[in-house]
Amino acid sequence: QIFFLLFFWLGVFLFIMEGRGSAVNTPASRPLTRRSKSYGRSCVEAPSYFWQTPGHLTVLKVPTSRGAAKSQLITNKVDPEHIALLVKNEWKLSYVTPLHHFRHTQLKSYSRHLAAFIAAEKQQGVAVEVGLEAGFKVTFTAVLGLAETDEDAETVFIQIQSKPAFAAAADAPKVVWRGWLTCVNGDPEYLRSLPSDFVSLPLFCTSGSESLTTLVKTWLERAFDCNFGSLALNSTTLNWLAALWTGCHPTCNIRHLKLAWSLPTQPPLDVSYTVNPQDAWELWNSIHPEESTDDKIDIKEVQSFINGLETHFFRHFKIYLSAGTLVKVSTALGSAHLDGKIKIGNSDYITTLLTLLTESALLKMPT
Amino acid sequence: MDTQATSVLNRIIRRIPNKNIENLLKKWSCLSADQLRALDYTRPKWMIVEHVISFCEENRLNLKHITTLEMIYHIENPDQGTWHACQLAEAQDDAVCVELTQFKEQFKAHLHGVIRHISIKMKKHEDEAIWIRIAWGDNFSKPNHLKPTYVVHHLHTSYVFISNLMAKHKIFLCPALVIATKHGSIKDGHLSTRSLTAMRDLPLRRYQQVNHQGSPNPCIGKEHGDHEEMRHQMSCEAFGHSPSPKLETAVYRLETRYRGKGNQTLSDRKEFFRGVVRFSSSSLLDSLRHCVASGMAEGPVTPLLSAITQRGRNYFVITDKGPGVSSQASAQRP
Repeated sequence: QIFFLLFFWLGVFLFIMEGRGSAVNTPASRPLTRRSKSYGRSCVEAPSYFWQTPGHLTVLKVPTSRGAAKSQLITNKVDPEHIALLVKNEWKLSYVTPLHHFRHTQLKSYSRHLAAFIAAEKQQGVAVEVGLEAGFKVTFTAVLGLAETDEDAETVFIQIQSKPAFAAAADAPKVVWRGWLTCVNGDPEYLRSLPSDFVSLPLFCTSGSESLTTLVKTWLERAFDCNFGSLALNSTTLNWLAALWTGCHPTCNIRHLKLAWSLPTQPPLDVSYTVNPQDAWELWNSIHPEESTDDKIDIKEVQSFINGLETHFFRHFKIYLSAGTLVKVSTALGSAHLDGKIKIGNSDYITTLLTLLTESALLKMPT
Repeated sequence: MDTQATSVLNRIIRRIPNKNIENLLKKWSCLSADQLRALDYTRPKWMIVEHVISFCEENRLNLKHITTLEMIYHIENPDQGTWHACQLAEAQDDAVCVELTQFKEQFKAHLHGVIRHISIKMKKHEDEAIWIRIAWGDNFSKPNHLKPTYVVHHLHTSYVFISNLMAKHKIFLCPALVIATKHGSIKDGHLSTRSLTAMRDLPLRRYQQVNHQGSPNPCIGKEHGDHEEMRHQMSCEAFGHSPSPKLETAVYRLETRYRGKGNQTLSDRKEFFRGVVRFSSSSLLDSLRHCVASGMAEGPVTPLLSAITQRGRNYFVITDKGPGVSSQASAQRP
């Protein structure tokens, strides 16, 4: 209860501070959108001044070419323990608009506030699943080293552990939810155009129950005046991943290139095509030779690659895969699903994947 | 009743919905009418199991009776687990004369001759199918009734359907089948599915595959209607009519030269462009039929796909040697 009141007053304090400091930054039109949710008491949310995503998103264009996937011993830049947190889990993707007044130096404070928020919501009867916990322990950690450019903000990892009511003292608390906010190779022009009190970490990856994810998002939205949205991937992104990952085969065995389509028949037909990695690479190499001095890969080459596979398939089965949708791409380096779910298999090429996803997140944001 | 018997009984009762337990127990006819009436099927499962166990002990039933119950359960609910088809080949001249008793005797004799501890139960179902339940032991240990193999065979057909057979027991089962049916060999039928019904219907062609003489849709213009009609006909010829046997998957191992467009370097390659294609659906034949009928697939239907129904199998290795499907007996389990 005390925590909650503290938080409330902190919120009010921040609101007052905002009002004073942001005269320069507030956009010309100022709709007062009062959020309909009240917090069970007579307090009222700070009206959102930033209903429009700040910064100049209109500068973002869908790139038609990009550099080849670069392997890097990511463990040189990032703590291997942090890397282990990211790899092997399945993550659900969302985009988030820039965070207002987010400070990497306040992570401990955020941990306490989020924990208090979850506890308070649970008391109010908001379903949090998982029965008998006495409480939740929340940890915000900065994962340093994933950021690539000077404009990228450092990644923030959030972990929620539950403390069972009747556990012995020696029982380790169980991790029930994980999430991380990141920005890798975000468009520099856009990032520079953001007002200084905004931090952009547009990609949000979550793993755990939906109810906890919603609670975390709600808290973040209120604390940093941002908006979340689900990030579904499109087939272009999946095509890029198929080509980029295949291109990595010489330096890192991708084990297979597996593509999955869904055709709208009655009942729906799933087609998965698992290509031998060496053969997939030879096809890719014939389209975009490795020795080419130009490091850039063009989208046309990617399309040619996918078309080649679809045509080889067609010659055998006479089925137009283009009548369906490419739904999932996977190799040993990771997998990506159209619904906005990813798995990171190998940390060496994590930057490539995160760059693509950061881009998708920025493009998906409402302008 | 020993622990194995109670375990098997427990497993059966846990699997079926409460409302079906009564029927099963009635068919079993090992419990008296009074006992059957005394059971309350609205109770939680563990209670029902305990009651049944106590009745079984009252009636001095043993493992033999319980395995009969299990067999009845599987015969009534055949579409469980995964069934694999095998095909008998090189029929001897008197294969067609094999009778049921002969088959049973020969089959049991062979297996009892090679394995010291084995439990074989055979039952002929009303639809002429012979059901065989085998609990495998070895020369030192008693049969394991918790992992029985089930075999279904229609006499005088060349197909045998097998469920839950471990690799190490295959070398015992196959010769037994070959000898008892008076054939020379048995090979992988390259067909596996969850539905025994589909497994039977597909290779034994027990479903309609002829042209459908239905009237064309009057709403479609004549020329368009002709195309529709043609596609519909093609699709039915290749994949049969609804309801089709319920297949879930078809797997093709491709070992052919690259046939994608425009790539000279790759097309000239002598090596194969290797890959595995897997089709899956809750009802594969229905999906494929719709695929052809709707134009998502081009006609005429490729022999690779029509081979599923024509040859009654759903695992293929496709090579460049000659047209159509090569029936590679590389016998790799899908």
